[in-house]
Amino acid sequence: MITLDTTETDESHLPHRTVAMSIRGRLVSSLIGFGAIAVLTCLLAPLVGTTPISLRRVFDPSIPFDQNVDAQIFFVARLPRVLAGALVGSALASAGVVFQAMLRNPLATPFTLGVSAGASLGAMLVIIFGGTLALGPFSTVPAASLAGAAAAAAVVYWLATRQGRAISTSVLLLAGVTLNSLLSAVIMFVQYLADFAQVYRAARWIMGDLDIGGYDTLIASLPLVVAAFALFALLPSSLNLLSVGKDAAASRGVDVPRAQRLAFFSASLATSAAVSLAGPIGFIGIVVPHLVRLLVGVDHRIVLPASALFGAAFLVACDLLARTALSPVEIPVGIVTAMIGGPFFLWLLVRRS
Amino acid sequence: MFLTADRVSYTYKRRAGVESVKALCDVSVSIPRGSLTGLIGPNGCGKTTLLKLLSGVLSPDSGSVTLDGRALATLSKRQVARRIAVVPQETHPAFEYTVLEMALMGRHPHLGPFQLEGPADLAIAVESLSATGTAQLADRSYMSLSGGEKQRVIIASALTQSPEVLLLDEPTASLDLGYQLEIGALLRRLNKERSATMVMATHDLNLAASLCDTLVLMRQGRVLADGRTPDVLTSATVKQLYDVEADVRVHELAGHLTVVPLGRLG
Amino acid sequence: MAPGAQKLTVVVALALFTTWLGAPASQTRNPEFVPHRIVSLVPAVTEMLFAIGAGSRVVAVSSYDEFPPEVRSLPKVGALLDPDIERIFEMRPDMVVVYGSQSHVQTQLERAGLRTFSYRHGGVATTLDTIRELGDASGRRQEAAALVTSLQARLDSIRERVKGLPKPRTLLVFERQPDTLREIYASGGVGFLHEMLTIAGGTNVFADVSRESVQPSLETLLGRAPDVILEVRATGLLDRSGSAGADAWSAISSVPAVKNRRVHLLRGDYLVVPGPRLAMATEAFARALHPSAFR
Repeated sequence: MITLDTTETDESHLPHRTVAMSIRGRLVSSLIGFGAIAVLTCLLAPLVGTTPISLRRVFDPSIPFDQNVDAQIFFVARLPRVLAGALVGSALASAGVVFQAMLRNPLATPFTLGVSAGASLGAMLVIIFGGTLALGPFSTVPAASLAGAAAAAAVVYWLATRQGRAISTSVLLLAGVTLNSLLSAVIMFVQYLADFAQVYRAARWIMGDLDIGGYDTLIASLPLVVAAFALFALLPSSLNLLSVGKDAAASRGVDVPRAQRLAFFSASLATSAAVSLAGPIGFIGIVVPHLVRLLVGVDHRIVLPASALFGAAFLVACDLLARTALSPVEIPVGIVTAMIGGPFFLWLLVRRS
Repeated sequence: MFLTADRVSYTYKRRAGVESVKALCDVSVSIPRGSLTGLIGPNGCGKTTLLKLLSGVLSPDSGSVTLDGRALATLSKRQVARRIAVVPQETHPAFEYTVLEMALMGRHPHLGPFQLEGPADLAIAVESLSATGTAQLADRSYMSLSGGEKQRVIIASALTQSPEVLLLDEPTASLDLGYQLEIGALLRRLNKERSATMVMATHDLNLAASLCDTLVLMRQGRVLADGRTPDVLTSATVKQLYDVEADVRVHELAGHLTVVPLGRLG
Repeated sequence: MAPGAQKLTVVVALALFTTWLGAPASQTRNPEFVPHRIVSLVPAVTEMLFAIGAGSRVVAVSSYDEFPPEVRSLPKVGALLDPDIERIFEMRPDMVVVYGSQSHVQTQLERAGLRTFSYRHGGVATTLDTIRELGDASGRRQEAAALVTSLQARLDSIRERVKGLPKPRTLLVFERQPDTLREIYASGGVGFLHEMLTIAGGTNVFADVSRESVQPSLETLLGRAPDVILEVRATGLLDRSGSAGADAWSAISSVPAVKNRRVHLLRGDYLVVPGPRLAMATEAFARALHPSAFR
């Protein structure tokens, strides 16, 4: 064992901040801070909307639910929307973090590898050609988009693992980008075959929609997202090492093929569930991780849970803006995230250079 | 013998656009405990591949690697990492980790799956940084450092693994003369003070001559010669290895063998 | 004339000559021209042509034409987004009905010397005007006038029947994701669906929105609280149950239309084509809104 002559060591050389702010402390304070933001946002959002409601009436048990407009606005229109926003925002932000670490590229998004293009194609095929595909409580479009996402992920994975157990990240990226282009072309072709109204519906789906109107699809997505998060919990320290390099991770005891598989599978699962629920809402998977890193540093053991929490708050806030800013017209939520994400990105680039 | 490779072979499989390469053919090396061994050879001789096999990152196609009597294949990745650390030639993290974070990564094999670093781990990291003269850089971003500083941080990170064996791939390649000597002195000190076993792949014949007590000469995936440095490093072997005419003798002032290239052959 | 000046004159004269040659054919129309080979890219106009007795002269239709049944056996030449110009030429038409927005198609056809009829999408009045114009263009002026008169009469009779009756606040839905309440598209305060609804004695809950289509959120629907919901569908699947999705709408049961079971599903392409069958469509609306007036 190599130990060193400790007389040479003088801890006063180190800035006190480093010594005092242990990772445990930073993790706890991040979780509390971002957790508070998430909880607060989710509690306040259902209270705000274009139609004024009275909270007293909402929770008045003497009025039957069937006749209580305020309660229906709260429980049918707003609350599922807020919960869906939290779920989708959380899933996409975390998936973004995982893909960025796994691909060793801070510009990777949950959609880089073609999972969302597969989901879009699945949804589009149903919107345009009709169909009676259904998976339990999932009605047609979400079920088809989930199937599409799974198929795309499987294809990319197969392509990237053809040369052995370890995933070659460069092949994975190439495979994903290629599949994205291919699927985009197929989607365009399918839209071309469609009639006008269907094309409009398809285009609208791509802009994202959190107005799910009920808890069925939410509950159906929940197991997928919970499973993805359970797998995410196993990843963070491996992600730190993987993002330094495959060999660097291996020589520090990481089972690289297993970590890569876990990362790819869990992030694809989270992305698929999110996209099949609400459509491909862009920019969450890249803006949230970067914002979080600006605030808490780059250690994935903090960035991953913090992004999950902040992602929830972020999307709920964006959706709030989307449904109230230009009332009575609603802006599709994907447009709001893009309008916030785009300039943020430019600013990041400028700052970096 | 502490760390041995027993008749190992390795071929890099054919990949898109690149033919398969037989990197090592029937190579056997024995590293004594506490030695500072140099791996010398021209580009493509298999030095880096052999290092990867010795560290367990790659598994040999045939033959086996043994650490202290146990085959690496029977140990888990974590168990291996607790005993063997690697200092690669270049490290390019994708995110802006601080120097301290880079150093702390070495503690990974010693931590449980959900365990975070504690004060003891922090102390080890700090010690390692101090040993490589980089403690004052702890809060700096790794990517913002100079080449020499980066290399010293990576060495510190390897030391944090508290390993018994340190494998280094071209440790002084990107360093200026001053830092070369400093790293050389550091490595010698680590080797002497705690009998750390070290294997160093390098192009720098003079560095190897000054530091290493044993040398392994490799060419085209095979071992040409191995043994004590003065026995193995001669102008004849240099000619065989590099097709270069060189003068090899003990330098009066330096006190160790030096290699002065005189000209290419053929 | 100096040699240089002579050359210049020749060049300028040639330029003018070729410009004159290449000028598009004169736009003045012979008012007595009667087309005998008509290609129609617009299903609404195809219906009109058949309704005014020019159906036998239609030689090719769009990919989306379904009515009257005779058109099913006719060759198809594409539609709004993908008109097949070559195929259209193959049909040797003497008049081609195009969408107003297909300006470059129109230019191409006119350059080839073909007469075009440009269709404008609009409300009830525009539709009736289009029938008249079509009558002029196809030499069936009298038949067109008769059709317009009869349509107006039918619309007037509907107005009569519902006059004085209370106008229910109505949500007119023309698209929705099956089995759910997602992606609901409703008629705004503009366009022929809205106008038909008004004639049929209903008040559009989105009359204040000056767009043809609105995609309301559930909160908006709950806020607007329509008394009646009319769902119109051309074809295709609605819900797995095949019903008007009573299950789906029950999620917003506090809406009067749902509470009082006044959700009606109307099926048929006549409902969404602004053509000769719009009186039939308006009557369907009126029957759903005011069943008592139609016993």
